[in-house]
Amino acid sequence: MLKYLTLAKITFEEYLVYRLNFVLWRFRSFVSFLTLFFFWLAIYGSRSEFLGYQKSQMLAYVMGIAMLRSIVLGSRSVDLGGQIRSGELTKIVLRPLGIFSFWFSRDLVDKLLNIFFTFLELAIVLAIFKFPFWFPTRLETYIIFAFMVILATFLYFFLSFVISVLAFWTEEIWATRWLFGVIFLEFFAGAFFPIDVLPSWLQKIIYLTPFPYLVFYPLKIWLEQISGAEAVKAILICFGWLLLFWWLAKNLWQRGVKNYGAYGG
Amino acid sequence: MSVVEVKNLKKYFRVHKKEPGLIGSVKSLVSWRYEEVKAVDAISFNIEEGELVGFIGPNGAGKTTTLKCLSGLLYPTAGFISVLGFLPHQRKPEFLRQISLVMGQKNQLWWDLPPLETFQLNKEIYEIPEEKYKETLSELVALLEVGDILKVQVRKLSLGQRMKCELIAALLHSPKVLFLDEPTIGLDVVAQKKMRDFIKEYNRRYKATILLTSHYMGDVKELCRRVLIIDKGKLVFDGRLSEITQKYADHKLISVILAQEVEEKVIKNLGEIKEFSFPKLVYFVKREEVSKIAAKVLENLPVADLNIEEPPIEDIIRELFTGKNYA
Repeated sequence: MLKYLTLAKITFEEYLVYRLNFVLWRFRSFVSFLTLFFFWLAIYGSRSEFLGYQKSQMLAYVMGIAMLRSIVLGSRSVDLGGQIRSGELTKIVLRPLGIFSFWFSRDLVDKLLNIFFTFLELAIVLAIFKFPFWFPTRLETYIIFAFMVILATFLYFFLSFVISVLAFWTEEIWATRWLFGVIFLEFFAGAFFPIDVLPSWLQKIIYLTPFPYLVFYPLKIWLEQISGAEAVKAILICFGWLLLFWWLAKNLWQRGVKNYGAYGG
Repeated sequence: MSVVEVKNLKKYFRVHKKEPGLIGSVKSLVSWRYEEVKAVDAISFNIEEGELVGFIGPNGAGKTTTLKCLSGLLYPTAGFISVLGFLPHQRKPEFLRQISLVMGQKNQLWWDLPPLETFQLNKEIYEIPEEKYKETLSELVALLEVGDILKVQVRKLSLGQRMKCELIAALLHSPKVLFLDEPTIGLDVVAQKKMRDFIKEYNRRYKATILLTSHYMGDVKELCRRVLIIDKGKLVFDGRLSEITQKYADHKLISVILAQEVEEKVIKNLGEIKEFSFPKLVYFVKREEVSKIAAKVLENLPVADLNIEEPPIEDIIRELFTGKNYA
């Protein structure tokens, strides 16, 4: 356990070395949040409801996106693909370290840093615009939400890990990363807009994928727009996806590492 | 029981062949041609505890691949490897805690942080007790004389400084078996010497079993009593360095210091000249003719000094690798 704490500490120190990098990343995230925020603000105009969402709910959804990007989608394991290609992976493989724990400790630092700054950014926006933020009315909503977010975090971890591990077989990883990271994640996960504003045939397809469980469902739970039964169903399905991707990640890793050429040198 | 046991180890790689150029690239989309490269082809050897063994061979001979198989990084295609009683490729934590692999061309330190951070992380990773860590660290730091750079960012270190820190990071957990892949590559002569002295001292002090690869004969000559020579994936020699000379050198050198200038014709008549710049003269002679020619030289030339020498080990090995038979 102590080793992973030390690893987290070192990761944090690395962020301090690359301060500017991190600041720019936060700036980018903040700008994309603001874009989305003003976009919806403009669409609502003087309307108070649109596409089944109240204005405060939609703005809460947009802020929720910013928050969940930090909690669920904050990640360092993207680097794993590069390490496989460059042979740098050697330094992890030949140490008594668990590969999942290694990357999760690093992810955690990324998440915590991003969560901290996202909180600040959102607080500033709320203070300036002074609109009513949507808070759940029932206590159990908070608990279910927290639970769903934890599941989503792990689901994303293993999903992202599986993509990175493909680097053992593919010549390059950026195409898959891009397709996965931009098209599926942003779009299918509901990280631009709620999925239920889309035409129903497209919704049906998206619900068959693991992506909506990362952002869309947690936020629906927060907004109390789905029933308790639906929330439980979402949690169970998310858990199923989690198990599947955990299994995939584990197996692909074991196979891949056998295949590993430890390039260079 | 031997610390390292290798029987019939084979490691083949499938390499994707692509013709050069754009057309080749397009072609390779449709038809994938693979070629099998026999990086290591059926080699066997044993290493006993505390031995310091040198592994030499030209580029691409399979040295590094063998080392990677031994450390568990690569999965062997066929054959049996046991290191400290473990199958390396299983990478059991108990195994990994007792070995270390250092690659001269690879950086294992955390690039953006001072070496001390890597050391502390390794302390936790290998679960080294605080007391032991402090003791080992101060000992290694003193031996390698790097006390003043422990808090400098790794990327700002010179290659020599970095290599020393790499070694410390790899040795903190006092591995019983140490694999060193080109530990002196790119270092200047002084730093090379330092590194060698350290490796020798480490082996002596801790009775660690060390297997080292190098291009530099100097490393091997100075450090290792036993060498393994590998070429094109095959083990061509396993034994003492001094035996190589006896086994492979069918020639000796007679070097003469002349007392006064002599006509070149006279010199040429006596035997094959390897080198001549007055007053130094070196003959290259077959082993069985050494005494005959030496006698003739003494008789016909004004000799101030005469020595019969084995050819330098570098020459023998170079000859070995340039297409001679190993039989």
